Amino acid sequence: MVRLEKIEKSYGNTRVLKGINLEIEKGDFISIMGSSGSGKSTLLNLIGAMDRPERGNIFIDGEEISSYTDEQLTIYRRGKVGFIFQFFNLLPNITAFENIQMPLLLNGIEDEAKVFEYIKRVGLNGKEDAYPYQLSGGEQQRVAIARALIHDPEIILADEPTGSLDSENGRVIMDLIKELTDKTGKTVILVTHEGYIAEYAQKRVRIKDGVIL
Amino acid sequence: MKFLKLIKIVVFRNIREEKFLTTLSIIGVALGIGLFVGIKVASDRAVASFEADIQGINPYANYEIVDISGIDFNEDVYRDVRNLEENTFPVLKTFGYIPEIKETIDITGIYTVKFVRFLNLPQNNSPPLSKGGMGGLDKRYDFENFYIEQNGVIITKKFSDRYSFKNGDTLKTFVYDKEYSLKIVDVIDTEMIPANTMVMDIGNYQEYFHKVGYLTRIDLATDGKKAEEIRKILPAYLTIEEKEEVFKNKKSLVASFRYNLQFVSLISILVGMFLLYNTIFISVVKRRTEIGVLRSLGADRKTVIMLFTIQGMVLGCIGSILGIILGQIVAYFSVFAVEKTISTMYSTISISDYVMTKGETLGALILGLFVSLLASAIPSFESSRISPDESTREGSFEDKYKRYQKVFSSIGVLCIVSGAVWSYVDYRYTPFEFPFLAYVGILLIIIGFTFISPSYLSVILKIIKKPSEKIFKATGKITIGDMRGNIYRFSVALMSVAISSALIIAFLTLIFSFRNSLNGWIKSNITADVYIKPLSCKSNYCFYPLSDEIYTIAKSFPEVVSVAKFRTLQLELFDKKVIGAFADISVKRIYSDIKYFDTQQAERLKEMEDGKVVGISDYLSIKYGLQRGDPIKLKTPKGEETFTINDIFSSYSTTSGFIYIDRRWLREYWGLDDATQISIYTQKGTDIKQFIHKLKERLSPDYSLEIMNNQELREKVINIFNKSFAITYAIELISIIVSLIGVVNTLLALVFERKREISIIRYLGGSWKQIGHTFTLSASIVGITGIFLGTIMGPLMSIIFIHVVNKISFGWEIHFKIPFLYLSFVTLILFLTTVTAGFIPSKVARKIDPKRFISFE
Repeated sequence: MVRLEKIEKSYGNTRVLKGINLEIEKGDFISIMGSSGSGKSTLLNLIGAMDRPERGNIFIDGEEISSYTDEQLTIYRRGKVGFIFQFFNLLPNITAFENIQMPLLLNGIEDEAKVFEYIKRVGLNGKEDAYPYQLSGGEQQRVAIARALIHDPEIILADEPTGSLDSENGRVIMDLIKELTDKTGKTVILVTHEGYIAEYAQKRVRIKDGVIL
Repeated sequence: MKFLKLIKIVVFRNIREEKFLTTLSIIGVALGIGLFVGIKVASDRAVASFEADIQGINPYANYEIVDISGIDFNEDVYRDVRNLEENTFPVLKTFGYIPEIKETIDITGIYTVKFVRFLNLPQNNSPPLSKGGMGGLDKRYDFENFYIEQNGVIITKKFSDRYSFKNGDTLKTFVYDKEYSLKIVDVIDTEMIPANTMVMDIGNYQEYFHKVGYLTRIDLATDGKKAEEIRKILPAYLTIEEKEEVFKNKKSLVASFRYNLQFVSLISILVGMFLLYNTIFISVVKRRTEIGVLRSLGADRKTVIMLFTIQGMVLGCIGSILGIILGQIVAYFSVFAVEKTISTMYSTISISDYVMTKGETLGALILGLFVSLLASAIPSFESSRISPDESTREGSFEDKYKRYQKVFSSIGVLCIVSGAVWSYVDYRYTPFEFPFLAYVGILLIIIGFTFISPSYLSVILKIIKKPSEKIFKATGKITIGDMRGNIYRFSVALMSVAISSALIIAFLTLIFSFRNSLNGWIKSNITADVYIKPLSCKSNYCFYPLSDEIYTIAKSFPEVVSVAKFRTLQLELFDKKVIGAFADISVKRIYSDIKYFDTQQAERLKEMEDGKVVGISDYLSIKYGLQRGDPIKLKTPKGEETFTINDIFSSYSTTSGFIYIDRRWLREYWGLDDATQISIYTQKGTDIKQFIHKLKERLSPDYSLEIMNNQELREKVINIFNKSFAITYAIELISIIVSLIGVVNTLLALVFERKREISIIRYLGGSWKQIGHTFTLSASIVGITGIFLGTIMGPLMSIIFIHVVNKISFGWEIHFKIPFLYLSFVTLILFLTTVTAGFIPSKVARKIDPKRFISFE
């Protein structure tokens, strides 16, 4: 599904990734662990087509995306990727319902029933008209999860999804992610620096100083 | 010192970081201040020109004796006056026109010997002036040549430098109705004489211009008691007035013109204030985390207020300095427009100086700082109310304002109603000479709409939410969501557009209505085939007559069926100067084409021919509450005479009051039968162009005349009208620019504010194009809603301008007429321009690197 070959990336004078090779099969739930500054988020941004490597190639389903144009990357991301972030990153001026609906709209799809379905699946019945600032952290992350899944992406990229939550809520969220992705065969790439969160994944990878250990 | 460091870190760094927003607000303030100050300088110079004209060249003269009709009088009285007061100075004065430089000049004849002795001026063979003498008059002057050369004039150094004239040069000049040559015999460097004044010896003046035995006025340096004694010996046709009073009267004539211009330019300041308010407000919202942190570190509310106030005033200071430079440029151009309008409507002035003084510069700076203080007051105060925890909760800032939305709406409605009420009070009761209440009303209406704009926008967004989301999908949802979440910010941008479109609608309606009414006036007043007046007369009305021969020659042509004489004089009504127009009414009535006026008008003209009746302008009717049938008393050389008012008409050719009288009374009471202008009626089928050609051939060798056909005169009137509104067009254009800046300002601030949201949309798969569309859609919604609000405000303002302001200020009856087609076109342009305001933020947004705002590594 996802294949990275000799990926190198620098920001300014800092070499963040120094020749990453990684292969992820379809349906894998993989965690990438590493300390702060090790290159975890950079790796996610590359797979999620938010950035381009300086050297190396990225293959998604056999297609080499590292040479895509910005337009092509956007289309790829819109259709195949769902992001979950540490700080939720919901759009503050629209409701929970509308936040979840956004990926569908960006893909030109109107399916309110599906939105309601996902609201139910993440346990937010009755909160669909709430604005993000009216929701707790856990609730906001549920919205973010629903948003990441609603357009049926093949790849879910989760960057420290429990980082802003207490451990209890963190487990709840991880249970939810696992539950929603297990049945659908999605590929989940989870970045975390917490061991107990990494245990949710079938495969674990460590990254240190820009290389995979 | 510590506070200065805080200012450096918090204020100056932020100003550096927010370059674009900072630049926009500085431009807004600069435009507002520049326009206001430029127009003020131009109109102040106009008033100064009046004062100089009245003062004459004798700085000590505090009284003057003039003919009540404003014409030259017999000099015999001078001897009697001199017996009572030694310090009397006879003066002859007229205006001349120099075609080479297209300038009007003031030619003043002085009694040189007395003048020189009185002012202790040094002559060629006398020792130089001691210290304390007249400023600049410390060189020796060639008075010998001044006497010898009959056409010799002394000009000012300013005039000489401006046009590179020097001693010995000869200037072809149109004076009265002939062409003359004036020879420069000396150049005087002094502030005492207005730049465009040329001085001649009075004897030479009388000889050269055929004014032997006449004076224009007698200046006196005397006291009140002596003045009263002199008054008793003067004949009925002469009066003695204190120069100060004359100046006050004349100043009041242009007061309305000045105040109206100034008020309109004040609106530009208001829009500039909006921009600055917006910038500080956005700065506060953006930096609420920073403010929260500052507060949690121990900064008190006062410190926070000071910081943002200082930020506003720094921007205001820079804007004011730029505004001063701009004001100087505006003054340069305004001076021409103001000079032209006042010279046409009131009396000839010549403004040679438009350079801002130190005082005016300082005044502009203070005004700019004051405006900045006002603009930053509210956001600065709001900044102090941010608590440390507010930084973590999004949406809470705007939420706070939402609580007060109903209160704001109520205040807004109250302001609008008050504004309408005050304007009505002015319309109905006219408590002041100037329509202050109407202007307060307009300001209240603008303020009122500003207060209700957030509620108005909320309602509009509620209405358009579903359709926008249906049509524009994700773009619509994001845009409406953004706008609903930032109502107050967007309402500021909306008001920028609303005020701009209201101004456009109000002024265009005023101009269109005015032009329409003017065309009606032209139709019934400009009825002859050919008009002749002196080439030197650049005002609508001059008081010196044409030579009688011109009338005789004109009448001698076979094409001519009749020649009407028209004579203007200065009359006095309730101690104020008005224009008296003595016309050959029967000629006008009989020989004008019937299409030019209706039967009622014809009847009124007949009444004027037959009886002791007059027509008065609207201005006099409004000012003094005069109606048809009322008597009015007019001072004539034969004493006071009573006439009855039979007609009240609109007069757009002057704003100092106009009385229309049959010529019979000119002969009977003033003993005059001359004309300042003649109108010629020709046979049907006459080739007017040919006829004028023949007239010119016959008259040009001996006279300098302006000879126009009916169409040319109509065009000239429209041309003057257009020039009078030139400043208004400039104000409109600047208001549009400032309002556009307001929209760009708001949208750009949103880009900076929404970097994270834009990044999220990119992560969700939104393209830059889609993100750009959200800005375009925001700009479009702001544009449409703003223009719509403007279409409510605009007609309201135009009604007040037309029926209250203009009526009270100038006495002009203007028939309200909305130019729908033209307005539609202009508002479309405004809308399209507003939409394009969305492109700049789109471009700026593309520079955002989404990873920076999402990744927390």
